[in-house]
Amino acid sequence: MEHHGSFLSFVRDHLGQFFTYTAFANMTFGHIIMICVGLFFIYLAISKEYEPLLLIPIGFGILVGNIAFTPGFQIGIYETGSVLNYLYFGVLQGVYPPLIFLGIGAMTDFSSLISNPKLLLIGAAAQFGIFGAYAIALLLGFSPAESGAIAIIGGADGPTAIFLSSKLAPELLGAIAISAYSYMALVPVIQPPIMKLFTTSKERLIRMKPPRSVSKTEKAMFPIIGMLLTTFIVPSGLPLLGMLFFGNLLKESGVTKRLADTAKGPMIDIVTILIGLTVGASTQATTFITTKSVGIFALGAASFIIATAAGVLFVKFFNLFLKEGNKINPLIGNAGVSAVPDSARVSQFVGLEYDKTNHLLMHAMGPNVAGVIGSAVAAGILLGFLA
Amino acid sequence: MKNFVRIGGVILTLVMVMAAGQCFAQSASDLKINEVLVINDSNFVDSYGERNGWIEIFNSAYNSVDIGGMYLTDDPSNPKKYWIPKGDPITKIAPRHYILFYANNNPTRGIQYLNFHLKENGYLALYESNGRTLIDEIKLGDQKSDISYGRLSDGGNEWGFLEKTTPGANNYTGVKVTAGEKFVLLDPYGIGMAVIAMSVVFLALILLYLIFKHTKGLYTLDMKTLFRKKDPAVIAAPVSREEISGEVNAAIAMALHMYVGALHDHEETVLTIKRVARTYSPWSSKIYGLRNVPR
Repeated sequence: MEHHGSFLSFVRDHLGQFFTYTAFANMTFGHIIMICVGLFFIYLAISKEYEPLLLIPIGFGILVGNIAFTPGFQIGIYETGSVLNYLYFGVLQGVYPPLIFLGIGAMTDFSSLISNPKLLLIGAAAQFGIFGAYAIALLLGFSPAESGAIAIIGGADGPTAIFLSSKLAPELLGAIAISAYSYMALVPVIQPPIMKLFTTSKERLIRMKPPRSVSKTEKAMFPIIGMLLTTFIVPSGLPLLGMLFFGNLLKESGVTKRLADTAKGPMIDIVTILIGLTVGASTQATTFITTKSVGIFALGAASFIIATAAGVLFVKFFNLFLKEGNKINPLIGNAGVSAVPDSARVSQFVGLEYDKTNHLLMHAMGPNVAGVIGSAVAAGILLGFLA
Repeated sequence: MKNFVRIGGVILTLVMVMAAGQCFAQSASDLKINEVLVINDSNFVDSYGERNGWIEIFNSAYNSVDIGGMYLTDDPSNPKKYWIPKGDPITKIAPRHYILFYANNNPTRGIQYLNFHLKENGYLALYESNGRTLIDEIKLGDQKSDISYGRLSDGGNEWGFLEKTTPGANNYTGVKVTAGEKFVLLDPYGIGMAVIAMSVVFLALILLYLIFKHTKGLYTLDMKTLFRKKDPAVIAAPVSREEISGEVNAAIAMALHMYVGALHDHEETVLTIKRVARTYSPWSSKIYGLRNVPR
């Protein structure tokens, strides 16, 4: 009987101890909030189909990262030696973003840009959002390196944002990445009102000349010249720009189809899964829910709005110097903020609202891919000045 | 012509060999004599509990450099005075890290113990493993007791007496200001950053724009016709190259696609199993079966 009693107390004690290890015992209000955020991301991805390839891994990653555990068992993403920590290495050391850029390069067709190279300038103008947000972040009291890392959200390029923040402000990486991908997913919601606000009904009806056909040689030369030129000016952008243009050369050379297929297929898929999951898991409530994170989200929104407005207004300004017939529809100005191809799709949809036969998608792809180059160049500059 | 190519090849090879001779192995040139303490009365104690003069070598590279096999000397006429043994893990200096050598004239104590003492107004040099190529040297002037003489910042060019002796650590011990902090002191509102950075982004993309705007014709040049000697007897009719828009191309591609697609008849999705008269197939062959024992 005594033995029976001691056995029960043994079981009770161990069950009590076991309970202290469970997530129920370690859960905080912050964890619950973050799990709700993760579920919301998954809902947006499945129900609204907003960037599902990113929001599903990130949303699930948020769930994974916010299961409250007892520290010391090499479970958490921030615990040295844990599996998640090993996977997170690729984010912290900036390994994944250039690999994603390789895939993006292999799937990007620059022909709309080559056929109408003045669209490149729209991609440059939209980067103003980055530097507008940088100035605001400085005013709010963020350090210069933190401001630079936050501002890059305006580039609307997830891999670039992760790459730069891993170098300038690794402690803010989770918040910056989540903010960047959230706003990229919300491009169809954020951009149209700004585009409509800054354009007149006459401007929205501008029909652009159809793009000329682009030769194979031109397409193959573009990544070579593009890489040499941009990286000679901004060598710190080499990991991103080098991989982007390399991927594009694999595609356009026409003789490395297998490599291009791997880069734009299985490889980018694997890296997207790893980057999405680990970035999501890095939002552990204990490190993520801070006033800084709130500031980052606010600044991210500001930089997106500034970037979109800058792109649209630049086209209007540029049109002052263009002859009738060569004018650019300012509705493609928003596409300068990268977010490929969503922002170009927004141009198309908004354009069709005003003229059912005016298809802007092909034209918008020009500034859209120019935005990718522009944001990588901008990241290189920030890295050069602030690292 | 063949001779010309051959001579060119020989010259190129010679130039490459000469250039290789000038190269340092494994970025040895990145090693710097960084800090020296000549008179050690009450300063750093080595692992034997003794105070000796010491030398700090700094790897200024961003990759590891193995100092094993190189030479340290205090005698300009004898560059091979102390050979640093090869193959020891401690001779591999991590990026931007240091290694210490103790000048106690007692090399039996370990590979970091040299066979000479440091002297005031003396000389110190580091040589490559060939014993001829000088990597770094320093002429020591008058020295102070327990005050080290070194580069004011790691790997920098300016030498002086350091405020603190820092064996195996940064020579600069003041407050470090990051590049970003320096920048924001000059540009507190980020306006300068916006102007500079936007200018650079525009410059990069404008150059790309100009190149692709003005080199369009280059890609359609036919080199063969350009350099072919024109026969005055044949007057070629000018060929007009009509620019075809992407939309026209898309329409042609669509038409071709539809035409090629039409060549394939879409069968009803009915699967028919029909016994063929000839029953033999390599797939069912017993001769080529995998289970046959190879002879």
